[in-house]
Amino acid sequence: MDNPCIFCVQIVKIASSNNGERQIKGGRNMKRKMLSVLLCAAMMGTTLAGATSVLAADDKDSDSKWEYKEATLTFLIDPDTASSGYQAVFDLCEKETGIHIETELRASGGDGDNQVKTRLASGEMTDLCGYNSGAKLNELDPEDNFIDISGEEWASRLDDTFASAVSAGSDTAVYGVPLTATNLGCILYNKDLYEKYDLQVPDTWEDFLKNCDTLKEAGETAVIGSLGDSWTIQVPYLGDHYNVLAAEPDFSEKFEAGEAKYATTEAGLKSFQKLADLQPYFNDDYTATTYADACDKIVNGEGAHWFILSQALSSIYELYGDDVNKIGVMGIPGDDADNHGLTVWEPTAIYGNANSDKKDDILRFMEFYTSDEALDAFTEAQKPDGPYCIKGYELPDDAYDGVKEAQEKYFDTGKTNVAMEFQTSVKGTNCEYICSEVATGQSTAEEAAAAYDEDCKKQATQLGLDWK
Amino acid sequence: MNKKKIYSLWFLVPAVVIFVVFFIIPMVTSLFFSLTVWDLKSFTFCGLDNYKTFFSERSLSISVRNTLIYAVLTSGLKVIIAFFIALFLTSKIKTKDFLRSLVFFPNLVSAVAVGIIFKALMHPSKGLFNTVLAAIGISGPNWLGDTNLALFSVVAVDVWKGVSISTVIFIAGITSIDSSYYEAASIDGATRWQTIRNIVMPLVRSSTNTIITLSLIGGLRCFDLIWAMTKGGPGFATDVLASVVYKQYAAGFFGLSTAGNVIMFAVIAIIAFPLQKFLNSREVYN
Repeated sequence: MDNPCIFCVQIVKIASSNNGERQIKGGRNMKRKMLSVLLCAAMMGTTLAGATSVLAADDKDSDSKWEYKEATLTFLIDPDTASSGYQAVFDLCEKETGIHIETELRASGGDGDNQVKTRLASGEMTDLCGYNSGAKLNELDPEDNFIDISGEEWASRLDDTFASAVSAGSDTAVYGVPLTATNLGCILYNKDLYEKYDLQVPDTWEDFLKNCDTLKEAGETAVIGSLGDSWTIQVPYLGDHYNVLAAEPDFSEKFEAGEAKYATTEAGLKSFQKLADLQPYFNDDYTATTYADACDKIVNGEGAHWFILSQALSSIYELYGDDVNKIGVMGIPGDDADNHGLTVWEPTAIYGNANSDKKDDILRFMEFYTSDEALDAFTEAQKPDGPYCIKGYELPDDAYDGVKEAQEKYFDTGKTNVAMEFQTSVKGTNCEYICSEVATGQSTAEEAAAAYDEDCKKQATQLGLDWK
Repeated sequence: MNKKKIYSLWFLVPAVVIFVVFFIIPMVTSLFFSLTVWDLKSFTFCGLDNYKTFFSERSLSISVRNTLIYAVLTSGLKVIIAFFIALFLTSKIKTKDFLRSLVFFPNLVSAVAVGIIFKALMHPSKGLFNTVLAAIGISGPNWLGDTNLALFSVVAVDVWKGVSISTVIFIAGITSIDSSYYEAASIDGATRWQTIRNIVMPLVRSSTNTIITLSLIGGLRCFDLIWAMTKGGPGFATDVLASVVYKQYAAGFFGLSTAGNVIMFAVIAIIAFPLQKFLNSREVYN
């Protein structure tokens, strides 16, 4: 430790001693010369060190099947999607392919949609954009804004339902890769509370409300409402789509053509009525409870039911670990006890920005993200919220209990259907606000259904569909 | 004579150019685009459909009603409260200067910051207001979640923030009243309240008019406070014209949101111009 100090002191001595012998200018010159020599040496040293590391890195790809080339891509996503899964894949991606992903968070819900659309319109979008698949993709004008990956050979690994969800109505184009596994529109229920009050998983809506009555009389919160994040209040209505299709199998096609309406279709009206039915069972502060608050409540037994997408299981797993297995999953029940099904959401997709200058890196990244290696890394860090969208990849054995329950009860028996927004391109933009109104008791189910029809008509007109 | 006039008119050209480019042209183009279905790249003409949608769709017509309630309430409350605070601050108290700066401070804070803080304070179970009320034994209402109360809660916060500027204007008005009026009044044996009613109020009328006009127009246009506190929720209970226009823009319905903007302009013009005329006609000159 002493040597460097003595060395420095000696340099200073030499530099300053020369000052005495020569003129002041000359002395300064000597100091300057020493400094510049030292700096040159330092510069060369660090450059060599950097060069050797790069060279060393380049040598790495000799035995890996991935092309290694350093690059940085930016990625925009909302905070309500649990990040440990995709972050694990990003880390592995950087190791294997040299692509470093910088994640940027935006708002969720309607506000987040604004941000994405504004950035696309002003040309300030990141290289990769995380956004819903299905009808909402149409709002972003994908033909102009996103890269069409249908020509890539690895794109054939995407399962057909997902591929059609990211094609924005086109027969051939495919714009995105799945960020996570599928999401289930379900009711999360706290198994401890069910045991405590000796309740059974209901197979009809009537039975569900009876369970809620039992809980309410015992002083428990029957249903957790999270209107603080208003997008969540759409789930009871949208998750009921399985029951709508069970009653009217071709509802979606008729709706897109402008022939069927929610206000005049009994099954459709029932979906809104379910929101109205929930009003007396919500927790007292439901209008201010956020998504994160509700995650805490359902795990800690402060509420028995929560209508939400199963991605909440991952959010809960991030905070509470294995306590997540205290939570069960059930589809929103309809009127037929034998046909209790589940509405499935195709996952958020990663879209590549067509105006980015790093298209090759984006495609390399997407190829990596859909590989089995990446899915293994994902599953290790964050268990799936539903089955995957990559052909041939199965659910792991240690998936969340709730997801395994869903797999057994609904997927294996064929009682699933995709949500409405994946069957038609029309989804009213005021859906979450209209649902809030019903849930808070401001409007009746009939009024809400009529309002939503008007809202969809407005969107259909703007999309160029001819509705009456 | 003519040469002089034309010569001096040339000095107006730069200002007129800027005014035309940044105000007149956008106004004309927005009037045009409000009659179309527009997605920023192409448009199809659709006549007055956007306006019809605006008035027939419930979510949109609610906003017109809310905007009027909001503007009238904030304006009225600001005038009344600011007047009495200004009276207090112009009377003989020692800490006048300190109190004046204290009263003015809410105006210096950004509206979004005020909105976020009050939203946290008004949280139904964890917020400060309700925990204090609970300590006294009253169960506080759901300030921002109760659909009947939400708009009035936001009005209260807006008044809290905006009363400061109104107070300052009133202080200026009151201090400019000639003391000879007060002397005459005290000689005639007027009580304090009579002095206020018959001398101070008429003579600050120009300040009152300014405040009414400014706060009414500000209230009609208000967006940032409402967005920060409730985003127009719950449901549509606190939606005003500005937030609805923003939501339509965010949904990508650019023609519809432009139509909303034109309606907002029309509403403000219809209210502000006659109001100005009426108020000015009643002004008393010193």
